[in-house]
Amino acid sequence: MVGANDKHILETPVGRMNPITKAGVALFVGLTALILPISWLGFVFTALYFIAAAKGNILKPFAKIIFSFGIPITLMLLFIQGFYSPLNKTFILDCGFAKLGLEGVLNMLHIVGTLLTFLAGLYILNQTTYIGRLVAALNDIGMSPKAGYLTLATLNVVPQMQRRMHGIQEAQSARGLSTGGSALERFKAFIPLLGPVVLSSLTDAQERGMTLETHGFGLKENKHTSLVTNTNTPTDKAILYGAAVLFVVAVVLTVLNGVGIIAIG
Amino acid sequence: MAEEVIRVEDFSFKYRQTKKYALKHLDFAIKKGEFVCVIGQNGSGKSTLASALVGLVPQYFVGNLHGRILIEGHDTQHTSISELSTMIGLVFQNPFNQLSYTAGTVAEELAYGLCNHGVPREEMVERVDRIARIMRIDHIIDKNPLELSGGQVQRVALGSSLIMEPEIVVLDECTTQLDPMGSEEIFDIVKNLNADGMTVVMADHDMERVARCADCVIVLDRGEIVAQGSPNEVFSQPDLREHGVEPPDFLKIALALKEAGVKVDRLPVTEEPTIELVKEAIHS
Amino acid sequence: MAAGKKMGFFEGIKAQFSTKSLVLIPIAVGINLVGGTLCSVLKLPLFLDMIGTVIVASLSGPWVAALTGFLTNVFLSLIANPVYLPYSVVSILCGLTVGYMVKAGMLKTKWGFVLIWIALTLVNAISASMITTFLFGGATGATGTSVMTAGLVVALGDILAAAFTSSIIENFVDKGIALFIAYFVVKKIPRRFISQYASDAVDDAEDDVIE
Repeated sequence: MVGANDKHILETPVGRMNPITKAGVALFVGLTALILPISWLGFVFTALYFIAAAKGNILKPFAKIIFSFGIPITLMLLFIQGFYSPLNKTFILDCGFAKLGLEGVLNMLHIVGTLLTFLAGLYILNQTTYIGRLVAALNDIGMSPKAGYLTLATLNVVPQMQRRMHGIQEAQSARGLSTGGSALERFKAFIPLLGPVVLSSLTDAQERGMTLETHGFGLKENKHTSLVTNTNTPTDKAILYGAAVLFVVAVVLTVLNGVGIIAIG
Repeated sequence: MAEEVIRVEDFSFKYRQTKKYALKHLDFAIKKGEFVCVIGQNGSGKSTLASALVGLVPQYFVGNLHGRILIEGHDTQHTSISELSTMIGLVFQNPFNQLSYTAGTVAEELAYGLCNHGVPREEMVERVDRIARIMRIDHIIDKNPLELSGGQVQRVALGSSLIMEPEIVVLDECTTQLDPMGSEEIFDIVKNLNADGMTVVMADHDMERVARCADCVIVLDRGEIVAQGSPNEVFSQPDLREHGVEPPDFLKIALALKEAGVKVDRLPVTEEPTIELVKEAIHS
Repeated sequence: MAAGKKMGFFEGIKAQFSTKSLVLIPIAVGINLVGGTLCSVLKLPLFLDMIGTVIVASLSGPWVAALTGFLTNVFLSLIANPVYLPYSVVSILCGLTVGYMVKAGMLKTKWGFVLIWIALTLVNAISASMITTFLFGGATGATGTSVMTAGLVVALGDILAAAFTSSIIENFVDKGIALFIAYFVVKKIPRRFISQYASDAVDDAEDDVIE
């Protein structure tokens, strides 16, 4: 998540982009990778996202998440799909205990490529966008203020609760509560750590509801306005429409492929 | 004669599925520009009264209700809490529970109510600037509210209530969780607001402060008004301690002087007159 | 809401989403995630990421619980890994299951508890293993379960069966403990707090004497 003041990310070309554009690209490009039966396509998209990540000043964390997710799942699925996929007909390697099938491997590549495309698109959206701007943009296109509240409040409340739990954890271990030892002992530490956080947050919830009510949360008729603004430049529009066209083309190609007029993959 | 802005008429309230009434037969009125303090021990009904004044009781907290409360002539039962918020603001104890949790900056937090009310952005910017200056938070306007100190957050909370431009503000022990500096700063702002004509209803534990600035004091005990009047009238009542209220120290000094045989013709509850009284006692 | 007056299905759902319930949702998502974090801090081989959902189910009803489950996964997919997003279906189904069963009063009896436990385990295992198999091809690599699934594929020879088996094993213990904890937490919540949430509670007018 990006704070409102992380200028080194927000003031980049990717950071300045309209949040809806980024969300639309992540969605349309991801869906394109999903529906087209081309196993390498997702990897091409992911490679392109590397350029966007570099432009957005987040290349290092981006590369880290792509590889730390991509490598284990590739190996895991290579094993499961490669050896045990029901699709397997053409076997390319005999390892003794099982045979590696070409169809399973291609299926695995398609799955991993699609996942990486979605991961990359959403990660860039999430890491280069101030979330208040995203919600303001979604409100502009008709999302309910209640949904906006739930999104923003969840993103703000959860880290706060986690900090509070760490605080309690430190206090409890200073008072001698063991957080080590056998599984049963460690489990016994669970309740005194979680209990206070849970009960105090429930009373907090009631007071926060009071705050919302006295700040006009219950108003339905009004149009909701926003202090945060979004620009929608011609470039933003061009990129968004480009992604949408890509997806439409992908749908057409998939249908044509399905009825046998053309053959892809 | 100033107009009445709050009118409480034989008001009683009981939270759903509780045994006892939290407020019983309250009946009083508050005039425009008055500084009214509500005192009483924990559980005496101060917070329930605060909630009732802004409409949270009975619109948010449900239960059984009798009588009515009028805010600038509007019945709190039949006027939405949102509409009431443009007439009467509320600030309560825990600063962090008065954040909307939707804002990444203090400016957005201040603007939250305005967004919900659909106030145009240009006006929003203007009001945010003005309130930030009054609340002395203009230097932290771009900070994340969740990273501020309790005192700063409480000023943000007060600001986000006052940005709706109510003419009455209810403060329910809003300085209890703050350090002395943060507490004094809030209080100073409230005093200025009152001097500019805002009506203030404040529940507080600091009796010196109550004695110093209240025009009128209301004492609650187990949901009932047991004393009401000017600080001097209320604090000089002998049975105050039975209702869980400890009178200000200055009053105790005066009473001690009286007991010691010094002629005391008045019972001061604030600093200056007490000093005068002690000086007189020394000279006589 | 007057006693005896029945609300329509959709009106009933809408009534569950009061401001009081809405503010509970982010906090319940927090409880879900704090439970999960605590497990990894204490190195427990569990998730316990449904405690908040169960608490909300008993306070605000099945649909609020479903939304809590959904948002828990949305949050995880935003901050951790989008892999969690499709599994929001699992969280929604679990929220509804536990919500309707709690609404029927089943968290109050021993056998009710066991029934909720079994239902939750099955709903979770079936829906999660379908998603793992048909969407992800057998493993997501995000949790330790993937390794178990890989091992089971060798033994069972079938991806769906392997995903289902590992999911059942993982869920049975986990959901039982999560339910147990939530049960005790709900019991500890003050009555005055709970009564503010009961949407169908009748105002207790019979003993209405102001004294």
